Amino acid sequence: MLFLSLSFVTLFVICFILYYWVADKYKNPLLLAASAIFAGYANWIFLLVAVIISIFTYVAGRLIERADEKRAIYLLFGSIGILVTTWISFRYSTSLIFPLGISFYTFQAIGYLTDVYWGETKAERNFVNLSLFMLFFMKFLSGPIERGGDMFAELKKSKHFDYDETVSGMKLIALGLFKKLLIANHIAPYTEGIFNSIHEVSGLQLLMTCLIYPIELYADFSGYTDIALGGARMFGIRLSPNFDRPFIAKSTADFWRRWHMSLSFWVRDYVYVPLTAEFRKLRQWGILLSLIVTFTVLGIWHGAGWTFAIYGLIQGLIICYEMKVPYVRNNLHNLVGRPVATTLLILRTYILFALSLVFFKAATIGDAFYFISHISFEAQNWKEMNIGMPDHNCVVAGVSLLVLWIFEYLNANYDLDKSFRKLPAVVRWTGYFVLVFAIFLLGKFDTENFIYIQF
Amino acid sequence: MTKQEVLQQIETIFHEVLNRTDFTLTEETTAKDVSGWDSLTNMTLIVRIEEKFDCKFKFREIVKFKNIGDLCDAVLTKKN
Repeated sequence: MLFLSLSFVTLFVICFILYYWVADKYKNPLLLAASAIFAGYANWIFLLVAVIISIFTYVAGRLIERADEKRAIYLLFGSIGILVTTWISFRYSTSLIFPLGISFYTFQAIGYLTDVYWGETKAERNFVNLSLFMLFFMKFLSGPIERGGDMFAELKKSKHFDYDETVSGMKLIALGLFKKLLIANHIAPYTEGIFNSIHEVSGLQLLMTCLIYPIELYADFSGYTDIALGGARMFGIRLSPNFDRPFIAKSTADFWRRWHMSLSFWVRDYVYVPLTAEFRKLRQWGILLSLIVTFTVLGIWHGAGWTFAIYGLIQGLIICYEMKVPYVRNNLHNLVGRPVATTLLILRTYILFALSLVFFKAATIGDAFYFISHISFEAQNWKEMNIGMPDHNCVVAGVSLLVLWIFEYLNANYDLDKSFRKLPAVVRWTGYFVLVFAIFLLGKFDTENFIYIQF
Repeated sequence: MTKQEVLQQIETIFHEVLNRTDFTLTEETTAKDVSGWDSLTNMTLIVRIEEKFDCKFKFREIVKFKNIGDLCDAVLTKKN
């Protein structure tokens, strides 16, 4: 079931009404029932796989907690081995169907079992809570990748209807729709077209596609995340943030603290930190090695094929370079002044990410190298800069992007929500109507899918 | 060795590793307070501290350090 579908909206509305109507003890079972419908709607096998993995995780968590130190480590590695093997079998096999959401909940399960082993969190005794942690429909398809400790605490809170929380959740959903329908969907068909015909288009079109794709991916994935977080908030559940204005990052290391944060923090805590601790006698080399391994894992998480591994590897290599050569950044400030240096560093980080995304998006490594090596400023006609987007799309997506960046800037620096609530009702409601009308009039509804649903 | 002495030696290591001396450490200092003390430099700091005080931390100890005070306590426990 997809967020932008009538079936989902129906499920959500029914679940929302029932949720605040039933007694507290039935709230989580209700969410679980809705999640089961959500997961199994397209194919009951998706639900079956998710339930089996949840039962496995529940039992494994309890066993690890009760075992002595020596047995616990065997149980932990055994369970992780089984989870990873299952995930890889589905991921890499061409004959099996790929269960939606499996990469997200499998990584959650691995993190949870590791936390139980480390004593960071207690093994969850309530099977409904554990299953909701794995299957909750607002985050089932594309995350955020939650931590057991955080999510169980959210699920155990007593929940009464809270007007402010509900409104704030609805605003987040509107923001997500704005990003998805006014920006991502207006760009997507045209970048898709270029990526599907890289051998026929000009160097300038390749250049523009490379520069625009990160914006599309951000609008799409952070739009999805806003809807997920907003919907969950309407049920009184706070999920983890996934984006923190990534395009103002001044280095790739900083970028990964702002982009798909629930995944990058996951690999940091469960792969990178244990590896650096293990290799710490190797000094800097240990850290560099850990970085390479960690980001390659992050790349491979996205799927089969060398393109994703290289996408991750590039991130690791850039961060290694940034670590080894810090003086470039430090001296730039003295050389050209702070504002210019900041602008240059932001642009550099963006362009490096854009180039690495060619590997993320291209069908094969050969295509990716062809794409990058044929980027140029040459074109027969400067009109090609719009990569085939009609003027209408350029204007809507361009203006929306500008509005979004101004909003994100203000939101990060001022308490925008509080100021907005202080405005007279007429102004507030005019704002809501303008936003809703903009979404319905200018939004492009033809693509229901979000990019990250494939992972 | 007193806690204050450990703290001071740790501060010297921080200054060397992070290549700056424009900050002082207290027991309450956390990674948030020191620019440059992040997941990329943390393990370098740890290994320098282990060498300086000739001790070895377990992985779970390292992860559980919440501030400089915890780090000093861990060193003192290992040394005494």
